[in-house]
Amino acid sequence: MTTATASLPLQMPAPFLDGLRLILGEAGLLADPDELLVYECDGFTIAKNAPDVVVFPTTTEQVAAIVKLCNQYQIPFVPRGAGTSLAGGCLPVGGGVMITLTRMRKIVEVNLRDRYAIVEPGVVNVHLTNHLKGTGYHYAPDPSSQGACTIGGNFATNSGGPHTLKYGVTVNHVLGAEMVMPDGAIVEIGGPVEDSPGYDLTGLFVGHEGTFGICTKVIVRLTRDPAAYRTMLGVFNSVQDATQTISNIIGAGIVPAALELMDQGIIEALEAAFHFGFPLDAAAVLLIEVDGLEVAVDEEARKIIDICRETGAREVRSANTAKERLLLWKCRKQAFGAIGRLSPSYCTQDGVVPRTKLPEILDFITAVGERHGLRIVNVFHAGDGNIHPILLFDERNAEQVKRVLIASDEILNKCIDLGGSVTGEHGIGVEKINFMSKLFAPHDLAVMAKVRAAFNTGQLCSPQKMLPTAGACGMEHIERKAPGRHAAM
Amino acid sequence: MSHAAITDEFLPTTQTELCRWVGENAHGPGLPIYPVGGRTAIQYGPALTKKGIALCTTGLARVIDYPARDMTITVEAGIRIEELSKILAEQGQRLPIDVPHLHRATLGGVLATNTSGSRRYGLGTMRDYVIGISAVDAEGQPFKAGGRVVKNVAGYDLCKMLVGSLGTLAVVTQVTLKLRPIPETSLHVWITFDRLSQVDQALERLTTSQTRPVSVDLLEPRAAAAIVTEAGLELPVNRPVLCVGFEGTANETSWQADTLQDELRPIGPHGDHFVQHDDASSLWFALTDFQVPSEEPLTFKANLLPSRTVEFVGAAQQAGCTVLAHVANGIVVGQLPDEITTVSAAAQRLESLRALARKSRGNLVVVQCEDSWKSALPLWGEPEPGWPLMRSLKQQLDPRKLFNPQIVF
Repeated sequence: MTTATASLPLQMPAPFLDGLRLILGEAGLLADPDELLVYECDGFTIAKNAPDVVVFPTTTEQVAAIVKLCNQYQIPFVPRGAGTSLAGGCLPVGGGVMITLTRMRKIVEVNLRDRYAIVEPGVVNVHLTNHLKGTGYHYAPDPSSQGACTIGGNFATNSGGPHTLKYGVTVNHVLGAEMVMPDGAIVEIGGPVEDSPGYDLTGLFVGHEGTFGICTKVIVRLTRDPAAYRTMLGVFNSVQDATQTISNIIGAGIVPAALELMDQGIIEALEAAFHFGFPLDAAAVLLIEVDGLEVAVDEEARKIIDICRETGAREVRSANTAKERLLLWKCRKQAFGAIGRLSPSYCTQDGVVPRTKLPEILDFITAVGERHGLRIVNVFHAGDGNIHPILLFDERNAEQVKRVLIASDEILNKCIDLGGSVTGEHGIGVEKINFMSKLFAPHDLAVMAKVRAAFNTGQLCSPQKMLPTAGACGMEHIERKAPGRHAAM
Repeated sequence: MSHAAITDEFLPTTQTELCRWVGENAHGPGLPIYPVGGRTAIQYGPALTKKGIALCTTGLARVIDYPARDMTITVEAGIRIEELSKILAEQGQRLPIDVPHLHRATLGGVLATNTSGSRRYGLGTMRDYVIGISAVDAEGQPFKAGGRVVKNVAGYDLCKMLVGSLGTLAVVTQVTLKLRPIPETSLHVWITFDRLSQVDQALERLTTSQTRPVSVDLLEPRAAAAIVTEAGLELPVNRPVLCVGFEGTANETSWQADTLQDELRPIGPHGDHFVQHDDASSLWFALTDFQVPSEEPLTFKANLLPSRTVEFVGAAQQAGCTVLAHVANGIVVGQLPDEITTVSAAAQRLESLRALARKSRGNLVVVQCEDSWKSALPLWGEPEPGWPLMRSLKQQLDPRKLFNPQIVF
């Protein structure tokens, strides 16, 4: 058995480090083992492995020079943004150089007439939206970690968020990118214009999890702000009624801007943290938002309220002011921060099921929790069928930890059985790599390996990520010892 | 397509049959394979020079799974768009892609050519709707990617890779689509202007409009005349036309039409007309069918920055072209005038337009022309920086260049 933590530190040749210093200056790299500890993992804290050196380039040319130097000395390298990945996407499995892009944080261009912005990869998601305030435009993908996660990271993992139900995920909002390829070549794919002749490389590169190279600029589509919102909170006495409501809303052909479910466990934690006035005795609440024209939103909201009542909502509240709406969303997006009130440790899963199977998977999760004697709470993107069961535990209790891992796997396997997937927005990284061969046949994976080989022929750029067959020592042997303590989603 | 190069046709009715046949070819004669669906885009790309076999997917047209309440469908790729639309409409749903010749066009063909039309402005293109895919590689091995759920980031997004890949990387056999509800109604505002510069002002105004159009098209007078005739409508066509489409409830569309009228009034349009009910449907069809290769000597498509599109349309109009632009997307479909009868004249006319598109960050491709002209024209426009990566992808997935070998980026 090998573990990700067991890889031997690489010997960094002195001329290699000198070369890096020449490119970046002394302030552009960290090589002190104590300082490197911060970079030993991302939001997925199970697998840890510190890089041998962390570099902080500020330009594309520096990134290209670093990559070329790595090639010259055959040193592996991996890109990193803010490190909010929940699947070990930034884990330097083979050690080597971690290329941290957070100092490349310029918003290079905003063009409202042509509805695009060009940003460096280290721009924090919410900073772009803040920058656009007052223009009537925004950047639509809004992961719950948007206050910290970078757009380069969003590009690498095809991030989602609550509003993807209506607006789509990252790939639906990316027009092009500048990449430093694994050999150090700088290539522009796509561009600010649509339909460039040839294959949709942009579409293929979004979600590459760092395995096709290093993204040094992203060209994103900007979206008009909705003219009006109606934000509602449906209160239910049973989780079944709430999930049935979701199914009925989608089944009625209504596509809300967001449709999120929070169950009793999470409501309790949120109420303690934010004092919003959530009903503590409710089994579940649905946070439902419709947006669009002022003339249209009331009608759509009314239809949704009717459906909620038909399926047994005991109450439907509306956010009456913009402030109230923002507070509701703050509660939702910081739900994970509030979990600390419930448990010393927790593990979040990221499964997807067809929306009509939500009642079934929620029942299953409850049964799994009971069978393993674990408390599981739920807060998730219900409209997309993207579940995030949160398994609570105490990491000092080894036996409990083991049960958490078994329960997680059971839930994800059930998602596959129901025709779904093991990740809706967090990515494969190293965490889900063992599930790839459950989701895909050997030849599906072989084709994906060929696609990677088209862009990344060597073993240096993000080794042992995404595909179970990649790399010399198989990640399938990694035995997870402890579930992660996940921060946000 | 030079039919002389197609010596035979194979029409499988199952994916297994298709795999076996492609595999036998790969391990045997190694003939070029030309995947076809409804043959509506058969003029696209270079002329065929190597003798090969057409692989027709229309025998693969079954609905595999339609969980309407999930708003997704899994179907075989050979299904005709008209048939698919009918099945979806029974549940009040649709795939909101504008497809010409929908009684012939197949889903696989639409996907492979990344067909789109006016409504791409508000509703996107095929890449936004394909969530799962099954395909067969050049060795006859089936593979899949994505899945049947609307959100999924497991593995590389091979759906995006295959959308617009023109049958060069694999033959798509099955597709899972995300669907949208059919809107209650649609309405177009047909606005004529005296000068193109006013259209530009109108487009600038639209960027902060209170309305949310699903389409924004600019038609020079020749295109306007052709489209109005095709739609069987009576609308003014002797000036540049900005045609703005809305979809939604009757309340939403009429409010937006009125609002747009008010917003554009200061620019001084020559006139505006609301096109509603059945006429709105006829207009959608006519706008969609305009992009189909016609009797004109050559059809081209330019892609450029939306803000530079009016200038481009002006230049194309000056050059005698008939032009429709999805102007807020920067997509222009144009036809060279009848007076162009030689390839050198065509090349000359296109060169200046292509240069203008390049200056506006875009390119210009030839959609259709006489086969004998093709070798003398840069059909895919000027090289894009990503082309070497695309060749590398082709080399990995189809190293012997069996699928549509004539198409090389």
